[in-house]
Amino acid sequence: MTVGIEYYVLLSMLLFCIGLFGILTRRNALMFLMSVELMVNAANINLIAFAFYHGNLTGQVLALFVMALAAAEVAIGLGIILVLYRNFRDVDVTVPTTMRW
Amino acid sequence: MAVVELPEWAALAPVLILAGTALALFVFDSINPRSTNRTVLAGTAAIGSLVALGVAVWFTVAGVGASGLEGFGAIELFDGQLVVDQMALYFMIIVAVVTALVSVASYDYMEGHTYQAEYYSLVMLAATGMATMAAANSLVTILIALELASLPSYALVAILKDNRGSIEAGLKYFLIGALSSAIFVYGISLVYGATGYLQLDAIATQLETGAADGEFAYGGLLGLGILMLIGGFAFKTASVPFHFWAPEAYEGAPAPIAAFLSSASKAAGFVIAFRVFTTAFPLDATSALIGVDWTLAFVILAIVTMTVGNFAAATQQNVKRMLAYSSIGHAGYALIGLAGLGAGSELVMGAAMMHLLVYGFMNTGAFLFVALAEHWGVGRTFEDYNGLGQRAPVACFALVIFMFSLAGIPPLGGFWSKYFLFTGAIEAGLLVVAAALIVNSALSLYYYSRLVKAVWFEEPPAARDSLGQPTGLYAAIVFAAVMTVVLLPGFGPVVETALDAAAAMIA
Repeated sequence: MTVGIEYYVLLSMLLFCIGLFGILTRRNALMFLMSVELMVNAANINLIAFAFYHGNLTGQVLALFVMALAAAEVAIGLGIILVLYRNFRDVDVTVPTTMRW
Repeated sequence: MAVVELPEWAALAPVLILAGTALALFVFDSINPRSTNRTVLAGTAAIGSLVALGVAVWFTVAGVGASGLEGFGAIELFDGQLVVDQMALYFMIIVAVVTALVSVASYDYMEGHTYQAEYYSLVMLAATGMATMAAANSLVTILIALELASLPSYALVAILKDNRGSIEAGLKYFLIGALSSAIFVYGISLVYGATGYLQLDAIATQLETGAADGEFAYGGLLGLGILMLIGGFAFKTASVPFHFWAPEAYEGAPAPIAAFLSSASKAAGFVIAFRVFTTAFPLDATSALIGVDWTLAFVILAIVTMTVGNFAAATQQNVKRMLAYSSIGHAGYALIGLAGLGAGSELVMGAAMMHLLVYGFMNTGAFLFVALAEHWGVGRTFEDYNGLGQRAPVACFALVIFMFSLAGIPPLGGFWSKYFLFTGAIEAGLLVVAAALIVNSALSLYYYSRLVKAVWFEEPPAARDSLGQPTGLYAAIVFAAVMTVVLLPGFGPVVETALDAAAAMIA
């Protein structure tokens, strides 16, 4: 017995919305990164489920690329958060407001 | 026909040269990490991008990617994952020119920065990503190229590690970039789910057969996916609704990087948008499947983007911020190229491509003038720029050229591309968009001329000492100004190339 494709899409949309909710509500930059990660992984679930559904491997291969890209993105992001902490003594994304007009 | 027969992969030479330069700079950095030999580093970056520029121009002239008798036809590589056609080469030229200007200008601007080699290799890597975006012909390569362009850009914006503005700009750019790339990936996964393919031509074929036999059941999924892809493009091109990073990122970033992002990165964002929407989503089949004509989305986005950008720019006190909002406004002008595709004419898209080329010179030049002002340390607001014309007439004269060209005053380059956009929009029946273009251009004249007035006609707040004349910055500014003017008599070939490339995409 296989699970229908619509359940996978539902799961991934749920995960995507959790990530989006996290981005909109959290003020901690690290939480923000984790939420983005959730959204990216929602896309990965979609890609893998659809690859299975369509019977080709394109989606699975792209999922591998996406994981690598997400890792690279986190590496850059942590670097920026580190200098953020050094300069502002905080990782709250609402603290830096030197350019607010 | 060329005397020497090059292998097919050689069509990617501009990209490979940029990548090679980035790696050469990394090697230099790993051998000699503390080196601050700016001449060698900036020189390597500038020469690398100039060689890439030369090769791209040579390929364009030689007819690589052109159809017809003397052309070689579009060159597809790796099963159509990458394609080198006229449009790819055209945008590689824009990217390479801007990279060269930025590298030369950074020679002076980044004086005293500790990590020189890092800076230039990140610039070259971002340029590689942007050039690859020009050639990407599959959602996989588009995503990877887009990230290759974005990730170094985040680091470059935040590269002044002790400058709070730079860090804040980098953080905001990164957060919005990460969010929009997550949305973009999700959009890709939905398009893949609806069609089963990621290669653009294969998606188009799938949609056309689906529309023809009426068995395509995923219209909603496809529509949502396309909407999310538009979100990703909007981020890269700094258009509504993902435009709000631009003023912060440009203001806080080192000025040459702001020039780089607002010109090259924007052009690269547009090339993938053009390619995806002309190749992968054929208008008739897609609107039959999702029930909405996707050009409608771009009509709205174009009008909103140019209005938001120009109105916000008119209220700014800070010059760099004004340029950032004006850059959003210009993204709105270029979006007309996608909005007008419904008429099936290549004129609008060709006009948008011309505008992006001219914009590459005039906007880079304007931001480099800001870089020069920051180098002098005169301050950031309009008042701080008062009376600079008496001290630095050459640079300020170049500034006048940039400002009037951005505003679209004849006979400068910016006028011609706007003129083509206007006639294109009229021809496509988008009278509202054409009217918005005129109104916004008129409004933009106000804030552009305000800067000109400040520089030439206002009295300086206090007596100034003589200002330095950094060679690199001056060279880059003067070159950009000369190109903005020279593009006028030279506009014939540009028009021809852009229209040919656009026609090849639409056909």
